[in-house]
Amino acid sequence: MNPVRGSGWAAPVTVAELVNAGPLAGARMYGTGERPVHQVRIVDRLSVFAAVAPHTAVVLIGAAASGGWAVEMAMRRAWEQAAACVIAPSSGLSEGSGEVLADRLGVTLLFVDEDPLILAVRVASAASRPEAARTQLVARCATRLADAGASARRVLGVLNAELPGTSVTLLDRYGRYLAGRQSVGGPAGDFTTAGRWAAEVEVLDQEGAVLGTLVAGGSSRSPGWPAVVRTVLGLAVAPLTAWAAQERLRVARDFALQSSLAERLLNEAAAEESEPGAAATGQATGPADLEAAGSGVAGPGVGGPRVGGSVEAGSAEVVTGPSAGERGGASTGGASTGGVFTGGTSTRGVATGGVSTGGVSTGGASMKSTSIGGASIAGADVGVVGLDDGGGGVDADGVGVDSVGGMDADRQGGVRVEAVALGWPVQGTMTGYHIRPVGPVGDAPLAQALITAAVGQVPVLPRSAGWAGWAALDPGRLAARVERCLQTMPWPCAGGVGAPVEGLPAVGESLLGAEAAAFVAGPGTVARADRMGPAELLGALPAGVLRAPAEVVLRPLLEIDKDGTLLGTLAAVLEEGGALKAAERLGVHRNTVTTRLERIKSAGFDLDDTATRLALQLACHVVLR
Amino acid sequence: MSLLIGGEELGWLGEGSRLFASGAAESSYNLSRDWAGAVVGAGVTLVAPEELLPGTLCVAISLMGSTTALGEQLPGGEEPARAVRALERRLGERAGAVTALNLAAENALIPFIAAAELGLPMIDGDGSGRVFPLVEQTTYALGGMSPTPLALAGASGELIVMETAPDRVEELLRPVVLSVGGWAVAACYPMTAGDLARVLVPGTVSLLLRAGVPGAPRSVAAPYGVRTLCRGRIQAVEGSTRLGSELALPSSPSSIVLQETEGLRRLVRLEAHNEIVLALADGAAVAMAPDQICLISMTDGMVVDVDKAEPGLKVEVMVLKAAPVWHTERGLALGGLRAFGIPL
Repeated sequence: MNPVRGSGWAAPVTVAELVNAGPLAGARMYGTGERPVHQVRIVDRLSVFAAVAPHTAVVLIGAAASGGWAVEMAMRRAWEQAAACVIAPSSGLSEGSGEVLADRLGVTLLFVDEDPLILAVRVASAASRPEAARTQLVARCATRLADAGASARRVLGVLNAELPGTSVTLLDRYGRYLAGRQSVGGPAGDFTTAGRWAAEVEVLDQEGAVLGTLVAGGSSRSPGWPAVVRTVLGLAVAPLTAWAAQERLRVARDFALQSSLAERLLNEAAAEESEPGAAATGQATGPADLEAAGSGVAGPGVGGPRVGGSVEAGSAEVVTGPSAGERGGASTGGASTGGVFTGGTSTRGVATGGVSTGGVSTGGASMKSTSIGGASIAGADVGVVGLDDGGGGVDADGVGVDSVGGMDADRQGGVRVEAVALGWPVQGTMTGYHIRPVGPVGDAPLAQALITAAVGQVPVLPRSAGWAGWAALDPGRLAARVERCLQTMPWPCAGGVGAPVEGLPAVGESLLGAEAAAFVAGPGTVARADRMGPAELLGALPAGVLRAPAEVVLRPLLEIDKDGTLLGTLAAVLEEGGALKAAERLGVHRNTVTTRLERIKSAGFDLDDTATRLALQLACHVVLR
Repeated sequence: MSLLIGGEELGWLGEGSRLFASGAAESSYNLSRDWAGAVVGAGVTLVAPEELLPGTLCVAISLMGSTTALGEQLPGGEEPARAVRALERRLGERAGAVTALNLAAENALIPFIAAAELGLPMIDGDGSGRVFPLVEQTTYALGGMSPTPLALAGASGELIVMETAPDRVEELLRPVVLSVGGWAVAACYPMTAGDLARVLVPGTVSLLLRAGVPGAPRSVAAPYGVRTLCRGRIQAVEGSTRLGSELALPSSPSSIVLQETEGLRRLVRLEAHNEIVLALADGAAVAMAPDQICLISMTDGMVVDVDKAEPGLKVEVMVLKAAPVWHTERGLALGGLRAFGIPL
C-alpha cells in the first residue's frame, strides 16, 4: 500500500475528520460525526431547511442561531433532511441540551468560536478536496514529529495533539501502558467494537525485535481517517525506536550500577561485621566519643590515630580504626581496619541536597576495609574536639558526609553515601525481600523499575534467578508492597520477605530468609520468613516430585493395604507420636492400632529406626496430601 | 341567572384562579385573598353582560406591575375604588359593573374587591381566558376596545389618569407603575355591557368557582381543553439570547430544559419570555402561544413560576388551549409567538 495514497484517502471527509484535523479544529462536537460532508449550506432562518440536501453541513447564522430553541429546531430539521451536521456559533448558547439532542437524533452538532461564515468557506473547500486536506495533515505531523525528537512522551504528545478525536497510546510488548493517552488502554482488540475503529503499528527496537505497539483508536467511522492515522503512526516509529535504544542503554546501565552498588554495600557490611574492631559496634571506645545527631555516620579521626579505637557513630555500626590522618591533613578520620587500608582508590562522592558528601574513605578496591570515616566539614584542623592532625570531622546527619577538600577522601564509605543518595536504607531496622520468577526470567531493568515503583527506593539485586533487596519497612508492610509489585510483574512471580534485622551486616541473613520464603510462596503470593512454620515448610515440599519415590518407599505396605487403613494408621501413629493417641484420633481401640502396627512391621518397616520413621512420615504426608 | 359570591364562593374563586396561574407570589396572593375576605360583606353578584342594560358602563380592573411588590408594599385598601372613581370622573358616567382583565390569582380577586367596595356586580367572564403579560393583550383589544382612558391608583394615594394611543399604553404604564411603588390597580377598557358581551371570554369566573371547589379536577378550569405535554425533570434553566429580547416585555427571555421521565424520554425545551411561549420536544415544536403552557410541580401540584423553575424539579407540563379568538390571525399577531419575539 502506498502509504500516502492508501485506500480511503479520496473518500469524502466526515464531520469528525473536519473537527479532528481539518478546518473545524477546536470546535466542540456532540455526536459521532460519522457522516460524510458533500457540501455546505448557510442557514439564517429555519424555512431554508426545506432546500437542504442530504450530506450537507448546515451552518447556522442569524435568527437560526438565535437561541437554544432555534438550534434545537435546526437539529430537528437537519435530522429530517439527513444533513451531515449542524454548525452553530457558540456565543451565548448552552451546549448541554444540544449534546443530549445530538445523541437522541443522531445529528452531529458543532459549536464553533470562529465566524461561522469563514468556517463555512473552509469546510466547503475541505469537502470538495478531501485528499488535499489529509495530505496537509500528514505533512504537519511529520514536521512536528521531527521537532519532537527521540522522546516517547513528546512523540505521543504530538500524535495526540495532531490527531484529536483519536487516542494514541504506546504499549510495551506485554500490552502495558508506556506513554500517550491512558484511555485507549488494553490491546487493540478491546476497542474495535461498537463502531469504534483502531489502528496499530508495531514499533521495533534497534535489533528488529518488537518493542511495543502504537495503538490508536477513536469512535469516528470516517472511512478515510484510519488510513490517515496509520500513516501518521508510521511516521512516529523511527523516533520511538531511537528513543527506545537510548532509554534501554540508560536503563541497563542504571540497573547494573545499582545492583553492583548494592552488592558492594552488602559485602562491606558483611566484612565489617567480621572485623574484630567491628565488634565494638555500639560501644564507643574512642577518646573522642562523638555522636552525630543520633543517627549520623561519624568517624572522627580520633586523638590516637594509631590506637585503633573505635568510635560509635550514633546508632550506626560505624567503627573507625586507626586514623589515616597523616594524609595531607585532608584525609578523613575514617580508619582502615585490618591493615587493608589502601587509600588509593577513589569512589565517587555523591552530593545530596546540597550537602557535600562522599568523602569517606573506603577500602579502595579490596573493599574489605570497613570503616566509615566521618569527614571534616571545612578542612583539616577545623574545630572538632579531639581531632588529630588528620582532621577527621563529623557530619551532622549521617547523610551528608563531607569530604575533606573533596579530594582524595572519597574512598571507603562512598558506597554507603551513594546508597543513601539513592534513598536506600543503610541503617536501622530493615527487612530483606526476594522475588522469584516462577517461569522464564524477564529482563532485570524492567523488574527493577517495577519493584522500586511498588516497594519504594530499594536496591534490586539479581539473586538466584530472581531479584532481592532490602527496605526499611517492617515485614508486614514490605510483604504488602511486594505483593502489589507481583501483580504488576508481567511474569508470574512469588515473593518472600525476611525477618526484620538491625543494620546492614545482618541484611544477608534476612535475605536468606526472604529467599527461603519466596521458595515456599506460590505464584502471586508473598510468604514471610518470620511467619514461616512447619506447615509452610511442609507445604513447600514439591509433592509432585516426591510422590513417586514415596510410593516406592511405601510399596510393601501398600501391597498389603487394600483399603488404605494401614497407611492411615501409620500416618496417625507417626503424627500423633504413639499408638494411644493414634487410636483416639482414628476412633478405634488401642489394641486395634497395635495389631495394625504389627502388620506394618511385618511388611518390613522398622518403626524404631528414626531415619525410617522420618522417611515414612514424609512419604505418608506426600501420598496422603 | 345571577350568582352571589359570598365568603365560601370567594374561597373557591381564589383556589380556582391559581390552578393555572403563573407569576403569582404566595404572599401577595394571600394578601389579596385576605383583602377580598375583609370586604366581601353581603357578597358580590356575578352577572353575564347580557343580563345588564346594553348601555351600562363596564370597567376592567386589574393589578398592574409586580405581585411581589404588592406583598411588600401593602395596599391602603381603597385603591380599586379610587381607580374606578377616577375613571368615572374622567368619563362623566357611573360604572355599572366590574370585569376582569384576566383571572390569574390576584387579577381575579382585585376586580372582586372593587365590585364589593363599590357595590357593583362582577361580570362572569374576562378579557383573556388565560393570562398575557401586556395590558393590550386582551380579547377586549382584539374586539376593537381601547384600554384607555385608564386610571391608576397607587398605594400611597397616587392617582393617574392616562389617555394615549392603545399601542403606547404599556410603554407609558411601566415607568409610572414603577414610580408609585411597583404595583397599582388599574381601571381600564371602559365599555358598554353590549360591547363587553361581544368581546369577552364568557363564563370564566363561574368556571373557576367550580374548579376551585375542593376535589374538582384541575381541567375544569380550562374551558377550551387542556392536555399534559409531558412529565419530566428540569435539567437546566438557561438565560436565552435569542432575538426579541429588545421587545417590550416585562422580563427577560429564558429557557427551561427538561428531560421526560417516562415514555419517549424526549428532551423538552420550554422557551419562556415572561411566560412559557414555546415548547419543543426533541427539537420539534409541540406547543406554542397563544395556547398557555404551564409547569405544574409534581410534588405539590402548584404552578411553578418560570423564575422559580430550577434544575431537579419534577414537573408536569400542561397546555391549555386558548380561546378561539386567540387563534384568529389578529389573535395570533397579538398573543402568538411573534408577539414574544420568536420568529416562527
